[in-house]
Amino acid sequence: MPRWLALLDGPQTLGRGPAFWFVFALLVVATGLLPAVVDAFAITNLTYFLVWVFMALGLSIIWGYAGILSFGQTAFFGLAGYTYGVISINLGDAGLWTWFALLMSLLLPAVVAAFVGYFMFYGGVRDVFVGIVTLSITLVFETFMAQTAGPEWTIGSARLNGFNGMSNMPPLTFPWGETPIVFDGPSLFWLVLALVVVVYLGLRIVVNSRFGNVLVAIRENPDRAEMLGYNVRLYQLFVFVIGSVLAAMSGVLYTLWGAYITPSSMGLTAAALPIIWVAAGGRKDITATLLATVFLTWLSQQLAVKGNQYALIWMGFILLVVVLFAPEGLFVTVWNRLRDRRRLRRVATARKTVSLPSA
Amino acid sequence: MTFLVEAYAFFYQLADSFAFLVLCGLGLAIIFGMMGVINLAHGEFIMCGAYVTVLSARAGLPLPFAMLCGTFAAGLVGLILEFLIIRRLYHRLFDSIVATWALSLIATQGMLIVAGPSIEGLKTPFGSFELGEYSFSVYRALLPLIALLLLGALYWLFVHTRFGVYSRATIQDANMARALGANTGRIYSQTFTLGAALAGLTGALYAPTITAVPTMGQAFIVQSFVTVVVSGADVMLGLAPSAAVLAFIQSLLTKSYGQLIGQIGLLLTVIIVVRVLPKGISGWVLQRNGGR
Amino acid sequence: MATILQTRGLKKYFGGLRAINGVDLAIDAGELRCVIGPNGAGKSTLFKLILGSYPPSEGTILFKGEDITKLQPHLRVQRGMSIKFQVPGIFLQLSVEQNLRIALQRAHRGTALDQALERLLELIDLGHQRSELAANLSHGQQQWLEIAMAVAVQPAVLLLDEPTAGMSHEETFKTGELVKKLNASGMTIVVIEHDMAFVRQIAKRVTVLHFGRVFDDGGLDDIIRNEDVVRIYLGKV
Repeated sequence: MPRWLALLDGPQTLGRGPAFWFVFALLVVATGLLPAVVDAFAITNLTYFLVWVFMALGLSIIWGYAGILSFGQTAFFGLAGYTYGVISINLGDAGLWTWFALLMSLLLPAVVAAFVGYFMFYGGVRDVFVGIVTLSITLVFETFMAQTAGPEWTIGSARLNGFNGMSNMPPLTFPWGETPIVFDGPSLFWLVLALVVVVYLGLRIVVNSRFGNVLVAIRENPDRAEMLGYNVRLYQLFVFVIGSVLAAMSGVLYTLWGAYITPSSMGLTAAALPIIWVAAGGRKDITATLLATVFLTWLSQQLAVKGNQYALIWMGFILLVVVLFAPEGLFVTVWNRLRDRRRLRRVATARKTVSLPSA
Repeated sequence: MTFLVEAYAFFYQLADSFAFLVLCGLGLAIIFGMMGVINLAHGEFIMCGAYVTVLSARAGLPLPFAMLCGTFAAGLVGLILEFLIIRRLYHRLFDSIVATWALSLIATQGMLIVAGPSIEGLKTPFGSFELGEYSFSVYRALLPLIALLLLGALYWLFVHTRFGVYSRATIQDANMARALGANTGRIYSQTFTLGAALAGLTGALYAPTITAVPTMGQAFIVQSFVTVVVSGADVMLGLAPSAAVLAFIQSLLTKSYGQLIGQIGLLLTVIIVVRVLPKGISGWVLQRNGGR
Repeated sequence: MATILQTRGLKKYFGGLRAINGVDLAIDAGELRCVIGPNGAGKSTLFKLILGSYPPSEGTILFKGEDITKLQPHLRVQRGMSIKFQVPGIFLQLSVEQNLRIALQRAHRGTALDQALERLLELIDLGHQRSELAANLSHGQQQWLEIAMAVAVQPAVLLLDEPTAGMSHEETFKTGELVKKLNASGMTIVVIEHDMAFVRQIAKRVTVLHFGRVFDDGGLDDIIRNEDVVRIYLGKV
């Protein structure tokens, strides 16, 4: 087995071995077959839940693996959405222009993140102040976009539209002979699912690699990491940019899903959501983060449908309970308990089969 | 003559912003600035104070007593929350951020469900006075003075009372304070309660001037953090200068470009201050005067 | 003997406090030097300046002939320096094996890394506890783990800041043997220590620091005979 493939099972992620991967493959295939079984509305919903996964995974590697609390994910989310809107509205959906718009929507936030990261990490901003700076940046974007209501706020033929946000941007279109492939409905669902699988597996390899080892070292003891010869600030900058690209991916896919983007996607409440998902599931593990994101977005939608007002209160309570009683995250804590119980059982069985010398 | 009126109008706006920032920041300056606890529910303590004040006044209490009720209510909630939740999180930075955000969510949504999207407000006392073509609220013109009075009172509390000295000692070095006989658990609790009560007082003071809505906390929280971060850990030294500088920047930008740009100016200021003066104004002043 | 590490006129002020007040130090390649001195003499500050945790207020630091005064810490480590902190600086929530891997992976890959890992585990006698969380080790074991990590980067100069703090007599002796063994293989080692028995076990040359300056320098026996040194230690020797 090539060494990089073995990294899928490395030390920084939970779940390994044939049983785990069998279940994983089963889930992926089952999910992929859903459009044949459930109606279009359910598929659209499921796409919506999956869209947020990337941003949450990005926060997980920034916060859970590298120890940097950033409130900036939603800034890159919004920036990507608006970038896609502006470029695709201006350049249209002929040929590969929408894919160009997609690429730019990932690139621009990355560049901005590089600048922000440089400003912070090379400027000595640490710990809670990273959170304050990134939250401030997010709110600056939101406030700025909110005051673009007037007609003078137009880029090319795309009006920024203030509080109401942009809408009607074209979906991803791939030229295919006479009728181009338009990615919405089931095709968008499969695209997002494929991206989730690719990103998840890719991140598993990355966080278990030598790079991931250094991230974890920086989280645990940045001074010691530096004194082992690692350029700590560069690693922090790097992981921050990677996280921003992931947030951007969520932003673009969200915009494609709903054909709109508004400043409120960068507001205070929106900035809190990825923190909630990642903290509730377990920030130090990407599998836990993925599961928690899908589960909690599903849950809040269910609550919104049934008992509208109580959705956020339940979220708040879940979060509180997790922080007080399972601070490692709900999924991580449950997994660890199960694993410890498995270990004890294994030790107990081993003990039984060893014959002890008589006293 | 109109120049003087314009000048006063700007000064009034400046003083109004100053008062707002000082009062917003006071409770948080104690809890975050002194204790290092990130309290993201700070805005909701302000909301609590405002709501209790309005409800008490509407129930017949004279306004000053209603304000006292609001302050006490927030303090009581702070006491209970510190006992149940906060005290487990003192050395867990990330967890305290998440937990207080959760509390904020619960409080905001809870208030929305219990009291509805808004409640009927109070009339601003003392009426208004006119200058040229402007009309100014007497009450809001007085708030800056009240803010300064409160700062003075806090100074007296922390420097000249037993509680204040023990509190500062505990925050600086809990182990040492314990060795000297301080009941550090109780002091943390009292200090946090004080911070919560001050937030409630802020809500109480602003209750007659705004419409109380469940999401009002969000309007206060950003201003509070910005002021406290720019101030630095030494509340007495840094809060007033911080509020003054920020009020100036915000007022100037709002006058020329509107409120949203004013808000952006505030946020950009805190970003720059974190980078250039990481210990805030008070930290910078202390460093220049030969401290570490 | 070539000088491998040198400080010239090194000074460090913290506000009004002169932590280091003019230190000229020259360490030869392959030397085993002890730095001693009463509390507050500036020993740890000296190490931090050499590693680059903060810049000096005045003076220069030369390593292998190169002026590294303005060089960032991780680059100094890459050039061949390493440190074991006074307070154990290890990755507490990671396993012993992970700790060592992270220290080794910059210089080794693949099977070479695995072999180097085994050698280090054997050196500090923690082979049977490789999967243990570093936080669960005894204090002495944590010190050894950190020494192993500091050694893993294959330094030319190893700085040890009070390696035997909190150790039992037995552990202290074993540490001394370990240090001598490392030095015998050619590693230059500078040790800050309070434990005089340990100094006696390993030291050839001793530098005494007092109020941020070099107070005395020479063989251990000469140092002890210096009455002033005895006095500044107030009977510690």
